[in-house]
Amino acid sequence: MDLTPLWLSLKLAFMTTVVLVILAAPLTYLLVYVRFAGKTFFEAFLTLPMVLPPTVLGFYLLLVMTPQGNIGRFWQAVTGSPLIFTFAGIVAASLVYSLPFAIQPMKAAFEKIDRRLLESSYVLGLSPLSTFFRVIIPNALNGLAASAILVFIHTLGEFGVILMVGGSIPGETKVASIAIYEAVEALRYRDAAVMCLILVPISYLFLLLINRLTRRQIYGT
Amino acid sequence: MRKYVTAIISALVILGSSFSAAAGEKLLVAVAANFILPSGELAEMFEARTRIPVEATYTSTGKLYGQIVKGAPYDLFFAADEKRPNLLFEKGLCDAPFVYAQGQVVVWTANRELCGAAGWQAVVKNPNVLKIAIANTESAPYGTAAMIALRKAGLWDMLKAKYVFPQTVAQAFQYAETKSAEAGFCAYSSALSDKGKGGCFYPVPEAPAIVQAACILKRTEHRAAAEQFAAFVQSPEAQKIKEKYGYR
Amino acid sequence: MELNVSIKKKLPHFDLDVSFSCRRSRLLALVGPSGAGKTTIIRILAGLDRPDEGRITYDGETWVDTDKKIFLPPQERHLGYVFQEYTLFPHLTVAGNVAFAAADTRDVDSLLKRFNIRHLKDRKPDMISGGERQRCAICQAMARHPRLLLLDEPFSALDAVTRQSLRAELRTLKQDLSIPVIHVTHDISEALYLADDVLPMVGGRIVRKWMVQFMLKGRPPARQRVAEGMNSSEHDSRAGEDLSVLYDSLKAVQ
Repeated sequence: MDLTPLWLSLKLAFMTTVVLVILAAPLTYLLVYVRFAGKTFFEAFLTLPMVLPPTVLGFYLLLVMTPQGNIGRFWQAVTGSPLIFTFAGIVAASLVYSLPFAIQPMKAAFEKIDRRLLESSYVLGLSPLSTFFRVIIPNALNGLAASAILVFIHTLGEFGVILMVGGSIPGETKVASIAIYEAVEALRYRDAAVMCLILVPISYLFLLLINRLTRRQIYGT
Repeated sequence: MRKYVTAIISALVILGSSFSAAAGEKLLVAVAANFILPSGELAEMFEARTRIPVEATYTSTGKLYGQIVKGAPYDLFFAADEKRPNLLFEKGLCDAPFVYAQGQVVVWTANRELCGAAGWQAVVKNPNVLKIAIANTESAPYGTAAMIALRKAGLWDMLKAKYVFPQTVAQAFQYAETKSAEAGFCAYSSALSDKGKGGCFYPVPEAPAIVQAACILKRTEHRAAAEQFAAFVQSPEAQKIKEKYGYR
Repeated sequence: MELNVSIKKKLPHFDLDVSFSCRRSRLLALVGPSGAGKTTIIRILAGLDRPDEGRITYDGETWVDTDKKIFLPPQERHLGYVFQEYTLFPHLTVAGNVAFAAADTRDVDSLLKRFNIRHLKDRKPDMISGGERQRCAICQAMARHPRLLLLDEPFSALDAVTRQSLRAELRTLKQDLSIPVIHVTHDISEALYLADDVLPMVGGRIVRKWMVQFMLKGRPPARQRVAEGMNSSEHDSRAGEDLSVLYDSLKAVQ
């Protein structure tokens, strides 16, 4: 049985997690520590992917990622290849899809840091940027880990968005969730079952990890 | 006086319910998504004639099959292939299937520059066509037909890098229409639609006709009405409507 | 090295309006009941808050001038600040904390020795006592060789015994310092024990020396004179209460 879709799913989840955690940190910093006009609207906008039906989100991403769309055109100009129907394309879609899930745990962790620690850092001569790396991040590690894990399992289960912008290309964008769906449609129930049997324990393991991490936060490290 | 009024009201209620018993007759049909437009018109015509409303659910043949096997309360099943109705027949869930329409696969493109080509093969081989949408070749009959045509023309392996595989032929049309894919193997009926008229299509003679079969489900509680509808769908008038939408 | 301060700021319950200066090697105590604006002053001195109006200069260098729109950020004022708690970074050991902004990492060891915390150097803040933490915080602040030391009720969260011993340590330390130190406390005996200059504060204003004498003479008309001197009405209930508290505590220590 072809297990490439499973590898693709893991690869997608891994890449999305790494990129998203790095992208979400400065965004979360903005939301927690910087005052600016329209912040509530900005924050609500960032939470949109969580409430939109995946196929709606997928449809808008499709329009934007095609060679005629704004992002698709830009990507083509910069890299010479299209964004839609590529692995890079589904990574991009996953970034949007999982963004709110990356931000929430990080935000909770940042907010828990007492402001006086940051002020102490400034008085001791560190710039806000240095403070971010030397004070905030080290004291928010649990939140960062929770973000990473949440994004990982959320991406493993991603379906509707990838369905729209992926094109189900074997070895490129046909991830496990799509492969399982197609197996069911084609009445290959056994193949579907095998893939599920492998995916479920992986997701469960990560969920256990989150639980352990967040519990440690409550009872104190 | 009061007894009189009660008698009249009861009579009306009884009369009313006997009307609704006949009017309560309604058909629930499961219809493959690609047949949505002709199906709507056929249902309207049928209801106008017989006062029996026809309520349809449109989604992929595979999903409908799955639902029916799990006991969904449809009266008739209109699939996009013959395989699924045959399977139901083997399982004893429906009567002998009958062919109700034949669809055709075409290559459709929204790109006007590709409209003067010699034929469908020229279009798919064109180096400016980077992506070709083909419905899932396993579960979508239009996809299977497209694959057969490409194989017959010796192009299937050569063009592998270009294929994208949406789940349904309707999504293939969506990809082609939004220019996400430069061309797509779509249903003839899509090419004839308003959106389809904005592009151009090429017939694909190498592709087998999509034989779409239907059957009456054994669990129906409106057998008489179901048989009436089945007959209507196979009538010459229905044929005219189907042809309008690109079916034979 | 002299610090000159003259600032005004509108606060929720009253208006802050103070002017004072502090010279090197002197400890100035800002004392008064909670909510008199003492912490706000310290924060403004540190650059963590801004006054509505005013000037702060240190040794000729302007830190804040609202007229000329000058504002030097905390990073560049080169001072030390000890909070009541949460000064130390929980993710670093004591040694790590002291080294955090030390000018020279080779100093760390001698600093630890000087403040008598060398035996704690590999422990994290949550594994040492409150008193030890504050000692470490002071050490951390001094590691940078600051030009000014600010202490915001550093001992208020500690038990009486620890407070006494740390006070004594601070007094000794103060003698070796050649920088100005500003110490905020609500405990007047602490202020009198440590300070070279005491600045009592009530309702955002400094109670002048002559006012203190007046109050200690103790008669109600004296209190009224003080209130006028502070531009607030004795019938202004909040100021009136604070004045009473200050008066009582001054009397107690007398």
